[in-house]
Amino acid sequence: MKFRQKLLWLFQRRRREAEIREELEFHLAEEAEDRKEEGIPAEEARWAAHRDLGNMARVHENVRAVWIWTWAEQFLQDLRYALRVMRANKAFTSLAVLSLALGIGANTAIYSFMDALLLRSLPVSDPASLVVLNWHAAERGGADQRISQQVPVVQSMSGSTYDDSDGINSGIFPYAAVQLFQQELAEQKNNAVFSSLFAYMRAGTLNLMIQGESNLARGEYVSGDYFQGLGVPVAGRVITAEDDRAGGDPVVVLSAAVAKRRFGAIESAIGHTILIDNYPFTIVGVTPPEFFGVDPAAVPDFYLPMHTNLLLQASGRFARAQPYTDPHFYWIQMMGRLRPGVTMEQAEAALSPIFQQWVLGTATEERMRSNVPNLTLREGAAGLDTLRRRYSKPLYLLLLLVGLILAIACANVANLLLARAAVRQREIAVRLSLGAARLRILRQLLTESVLLAMLGGLLGILIAFWGIRFLSVLLSDGPTVTSLDPTLNWRVLLVTAMLSLFTGILFGLAPALRATQIDVAPALKQTSNEKHSPRRRLNLSRVLIVSQIALSLLLLVAAGLFLRTLINLQSIEIGFNRQNMLLFELDARQAGHKDPEILTFYDNLRKKFSALPGVRSVSLSHQSLIDAGTGVPINRPGASADEANRVLFIGPDFFKTMQIPLLRGRDVNDRDLPDALPVAIISEGFARKNFGDQDPLGQHLILSDEGHQRDMQIVGVARNARYGGLKHSIPPVVYVPYNQGFPQPRHMVYILRTAGDPLAYVNAVRQIIHQADPRVPVADVRSETAEIDQMIQQEITFARLCSAFAALALIIACVGLYGTVSYNTVRRTGEIGIRMALGAQRGAVVWLVLREVCTLAALGIIVSLPAAFFASRLLESFLFGMKPTDPLALASALALLVTAALLAGYLPARRASRIDPMIALRHE
Amino acid sequence: MSPKHPSRIEFLQGTLDLLVLRTLLPGPCHGHAIAKHIQRTSEDLLQVETGSLYPALHRLEAKGWIASSWELSDKGKRAKYYKLTALGRKQLTQKHSKWRAFTRAVSLILNPDDQKA
Repeated sequence: MKFRQKLLWLFQRRRREAEIREELEFHLAEEAEDRKEEGIPAEEARWAAHRDLGNMARVHENVRAVWIWTWAEQFLQDLRYALRVMRANKAFTSLAVLSLALGIGANTAIYSFMDALLLRSLPVSDPASLVVLNWHAAERGGADQRISQQVPVVQSMSGSTYDDSDGINSGIFPYAAVQLFQQELAEQKNNAVFSSLFAYMRAGTLNLMIQGESNLARGEYVSGDYFQGLGVPVAGRVITAEDDRAGGDPVVVLSAAVAKRRFGAIESAIGHTILIDNYPFTIVGVTPPEFFGVDPAAVPDFYLPMHTNLLLQASGRFARAQPYTDPHFYWIQMMGRLRPGVTMEQAEAALSPIFQQWVLGTATEERMRSNVPNLTLREGAAGLDTLRRRYSKPLYLLLLLVGLILAIACANVANLLLARAAVRQREIAVRLSLGAARLRILRQLLTESVLLAMLGGLLGILIAFWGIRFLSVLLSDGPTVTSLDPTLNWRVLLVTAMLSLFTGILFGLAPALRATQIDVAPALKQTSNEKHSPRRRLNLSRVLIVSQIALSLLLLVAAGLFLRTLINLQSIEIGFNRQNMLLFELDARQAGHKDPEILTFYDNLRKKFSALPGVRSVSLSHQSLIDAGTGVPINRPGASADEANRVLFIGPDFFKTMQIPLLRGRDVNDRDLPDALPVAIISEGFARKNFGDQDPLGQHLILSDEGHQRDMQIVGVARNARYGGLKHSIPPVVYVPYNQGFPQPRHMVYILRTAGDPLAYVNAVRQIIHQADPRVPVADVRSETAEIDQMIQQEITFARLCSAFAALALIIACVGLYGTVSYNTVRRTGEIGIRMALGAQRGAVVWLVLREVCTLAALGIIVSLPAAFFASRLLESFLFGMKPTDPLALASALALLVTAALLAGYLPARRASRIDPMIALRHE
Repeated sequence: MSPKHPSRIEFLQGTLDLLVLRTLLPGPCHGHAIAKHIQRTSEDLLQVETGSLYPALHRLEAKGWIASSWELSDKGKRAKYYKLTALGRKQLTQKHSKWRAFTRAVSLILNPDDQKA
């Protein structure tokens, strides 16, 4: 029939139903009247009329069927019925909805992260046509070899490489390679594979001084065709090729966030001059708010023409390495936009030989010809894959864990439904015997379970909303979260809806099939007391319990492994006292301080900090020891430099402040001045490696770099302390005063050993620095405990999350176990009564019940142990200081599981043992 | 109306529709009167089942061939009166000629001798 009519019916159904009834009533009355006229007594006439009409309800149904969508009507019926059943069983409903909500919510939260990380594109025009240029080379001589050993043509680099299963990968190139590809593009014109090619490089944090206020901000060096190539609509104007040349005008494009924060509005920023590391730059444009560069992990605050790095990094590496002329210095990253119709494979095939030929041309020695990098292209739509490399594995693992939770929740709800189906057996038998089709009842039961799942899904979205914030904090380090921006978009919500529907059918189908498979006659004959159900139902319920126990054990083992890893990491001997230590970073050079005044500036600050009441001692080093990583060639006179050596440039009282014991000799002190004899203190490991049994004190070391040489006398040997991370082995370290020659200091990390909470001194410290020079910004203020926690953030997160997941799983499984055992105990009341009447002791009855619990738990464990054994290998790369088959983690998981299971079983067992035999027997 | 006997329904349905439309040709009528009219006019040969009549009436109404209104019956009770619409009139003519063709065809086959004679 017509759609409009049927819709109309839905709105007027009450009135229309009444009309049908009235019409039929009228017919009956007329019929009876007719018969009365034929001489039949009134009462009999009425009955005859009824007989003639037949089943009035049926006629009514058939009339109505003309007007409505039968399926819609039945669905509404089912829905109303399901809601009534839910309201009647509030405890059951809330338990089921809650456990589903937790499972679905956790899955939604993790999935929204995966969505943001793996599926979203850069906010630029036509992101699908962007490709990232990379190179690939075979790995030679182990991953810890220097790059120039492995790929000889790469003599030095600024940037990073990463290893995968078949070698070394990187996205950094020499500047000449950019010129090569751009020249190719210009020559080929319309035949070129790219329509544009642009380059960029991270500038790190620079001192941004806007209207007298200085802050550290992240910068990005970009080539002249960066913004046109990406197709980003910049307010004002973009950086052009005219800006991007040696001696070009110093211009800067700000991000929308910085422009808004510092100038109030995007438009008012344009035209202003700001100081970047004390050099004046003119703001010419502002990027749109949604743009975050090409790397979701970086999120620059401002963009500079590439060539300004000659200006800004003049005292650093870029002054020495001649970045624009040295074909062996790799540092710049590139992205290209494919011309319409060109595939990534075609572009790679076209450019690879050109690059190959060029690279071979740069080889000046024979050994450079071996293992040259090969050009590879990758999709650029989602931006650089730094974030994906870092987070996709942990996220997949989390997804697996929350998937297990959802499975347990499903099993639990299925079990609850199964138990309820047994209670409703009579109701269903009655309906079947009255002629209801089995499919119709099945549909109705499924409507109930899907409704449960949908409610769980709705609540789950709330939980996900909260969970995303929680996870953002847990997973974040720095700028990541702003660009990752995981939100509940329609894609995520669609997945949640599908997940709810799927789980609803998954846990509803088996109990519904079972419930409608009953033999009507015996079920009807049962009295309500006699809840005697077929054994099959119990078996299914047992299977569900066993699988819940098995899944919980998996999660418990994972939690055990992560907790042990965390404990291992936290109990690493770091070699210094991490308590009551405040750290913060300054860069006076970025604020305009020059040699040799900068040394006095740093030293005066140190003295001022020492004078603060409550500060026990103060020192400084060019990097925080635990996070350091600087290799400069250092060797004994006449020997060659060991590449494994590491160096830390330190100030006076460093070892006293860090509380690193000196095994021999002395600390650096105030008399180690720039013009005094250069000294060095070596680590225990360095002494053992380079001097063996010799006494290192008084021996000399040569620090040489870029033509400078520093001859230093060893004045002390310090106990080994963690340098550059917790997990790696400690390298041989040389500690060198920062003020005794080349290299001249840039940034410095101050270390304050305080009495009591180190963060209580932050304000006083800021005041002192502001008084000394307001242009110098303070960065990375943290306590040492916070810094170390930050390093093991992922392990802390996993240990916490996984423990929470395991606890949740265990609780759900125990509730299921408790429910099943209680139910079985009630069913066996008569049997237990007889046993007790025949003289069974209470202990025997408890054991009778507990035996069932033990069997179920044992089955679960037997199923789970091999699975745990294999699954834990997946975790191997997340673990530290242990094997995935750690016996302690396994044993504690088992012990916890068995205890919890026995506890869940003991309550019904004790109740069973208190059964009064007389009452129980009468109960029969 | 049970879907288990589709052949019977189909036959009845078409015929019943035609009979109802024809009954309504002179003027509006309520359900019971329609049934009575068919029964009496066919000299009690055709018994309209109430279980089929009302669904058929509503189906015709949904198709727009007949329209309904609530009016008072001759005995002063509220009853649902059906009347032919313009569309229903057209349908009646069509169905009627189809029915004539159908009965003629059937009788040609059943009584070939009549034709010869």
